[in-house]
Amino acid sequence: MKTNRRKFLNFLIGGGLLGWISSVVYPIISYLIPPKIPEANVSSVSGGMAADFPTNTGKIIQFGRKPVLLIKDDNGEFHAFDGTCTHLDCIVQYRPDTKQIWCACHNGTFDMSGSNVSGPPPRPLQEFTVNIINDEIIIINPTG
Amino acid sequence: MKISLIVSMILAGMLLYPGTTIVQAEITDQLVAEDNCVSCHLEMEILPADFQKYDIHLQRGLSCAGCHGGDPSSDDPEESMDPKKGFIGKPALKDIPQFCGKCHSNIDFMRTYRPRIATDQVQQYYTSIHGKKLKSGDTKVAECVSCHTAHAIPSGKDGRSTVYPLNIPSMCDKCHGDSEHMKGYKIPTNQFEKYARSVHGINLLENKDIGAPACNDCHGNHGATPPGIESVSHVCGGCHVNNLDYFKESPMSEPYVDLEIHACEQCHGYHEVSKTSDEMFGVSEKSVCNECHTEADAGYIAAQKIHTSLSNFVSAYDSAEAQLREVQKKGMDDVEVLFLLKEAHQVLIHTRTLTHTFTPSKVEEKSQEGIEKSRQALEIASLEIEDYYFRRRGFGIATLFITVLVIALFFRIRSMDKEEK
Repeated sequence: MKTNRRKFLNFLIGGGLLGWISSVVYPIISYLIPPKIPEANVSSVSGGMAADFPTNTGKIIQFGRKPVLLIKDDNGEFHAFDGTCTHLDCIVQYRPDTKQIWCACHNGTFDMSGSNVSGPPPRPLQEFTVNIINDEIIIINPTG
Repeated sequence: MKISLIVSMILAGMLLYPGTTIVQAEITDQLVAEDNCVSCHLEMEILPADFQKYDIHLQRGLSCAGCHGGDPSSDDPEESMDPKKGFIGKPALKDIPQFCGKCHSNIDFMRTYRPRIATDQVQQYYTSIHGKKLKSGDTKVAECVSCHTAHAIPSGKDGRSTVYPLNIPSMCDKCHGDSEHMKGYKIPTNQFEKYARSVHGINLLENKDIGAPACNDCHGNHGATPPGIESVSHVCGGCHVNNLDYFKESPMSEPYVDLEIHACEQCHGYHEVSKTSDEMFGVSEKSVCNECHTEADAGYIAAQKIHTSLSNFVSAYDSAEAQLREVQKKGMDDVEVLFLLKEAHQVLIHTRTLTHTFTPSKVEEKSQEGIEKSRQALEIASLEIEDYYFRRRGFGIATLFITVLVIALFFRIRSMDKEEK
């Protein structure tokens, strides 16, 4: 009877220990394996290779929760701005014909420094820093 | 020597810079103290009722004599208000535009204050209904003072200005909402009420969005005239540029011109432009298509198809948005879902704009793009929620194991103690 009780307790202790080890090890493994979804707070993202980006064009890049408009101007220089219009939250776009940033929702325009030029937008677009490292475009949020 | 030069330059800069309000206030106080027109009228309590020290003319050193003439250096009323010294006094209503135009139409004079200032206000004014009527002898119409006041004119960018965007609708309404004043002009007097209820009015007056149009944005300001059939769409298209472009290329454009129908106004109204809804398209009671189209005609069928495409998209978008709220409520990672939904929302705006093409296939194509983005967002959101429950279950199981382990250890230690005894 005593032996059975001891065996049962040993079994519980063994099982409990195994469960405890699993509950400690699993989160460590989950932490070490990169998540499928990017981290919430992003301070920099890659915009692809500079050589592959056509001049006088712009494209929207995901920067955490928000869109960022990356532009390569005629001189081959890169500019990046918060892609959300300061008027009513529409996503802005680059217009190669006027060489301005344009919001199609209410015809708001911004110049290549992000300043609001015409239409309803009340404020300039926030500018992001662009660095080229080994031909890769790195967009950095200057405010962190 | 160098230091005094730098100090002088800084002081000169402060005087020239329009934002140095403290310096300006000192100048104004000095002017008020030294100007005999102001000091006498102040003493006799006969200063104009609307006299304000923040008036931009006064702030720039232009006192009473600057507009009314006379000699402010003399304290003898007969001398200071002598017509021989250029005293004009209070101008007649019909003369006010020229009275203000003396300076405001003179580019050489005005550019000394602001190089980029417009000087065509009087010229524009006489092309307006107000200007034309004033010229024909109707002194009830608005002239410069009616809108700008006479002696309380800050910069138009100053919130105290009657022509600051937030103040414009009520300023126009002073006359246009007064049925007694407007008697004989045969125009409605409820424009302000309608405007205040409109999407533009709510955004400007309630949400304080000064980008939203006030009266002058559609009617013009100095050249204020009601837009005609040809220009209504251009007025709206000034901001709603894609809507106008799509409409112009649509099969509806030409018939509207032929039938002399105001393009935008026919469906959206004008002063009472309400926030658009997807119900405006289609065949329900709320649809505006029903006003012209009847069952089985091509327009009716197109409206039905467009509404179906929009509804499917909105339904997919709403489902994804509801799932996003659930993700946020559970404290899970919403980055990807939020970004996808932002993109989907942009597609939704574009799809709604495309309804102005009146072409079901174009609306359907864009709707499908949005539905796909919404579906992706929904899928990721569902994975996040699934992950939340997985973690919760994992936590429960781990707690159970630890509890069992503690209990088992307790009994094991107790039995070991008994054995030792």
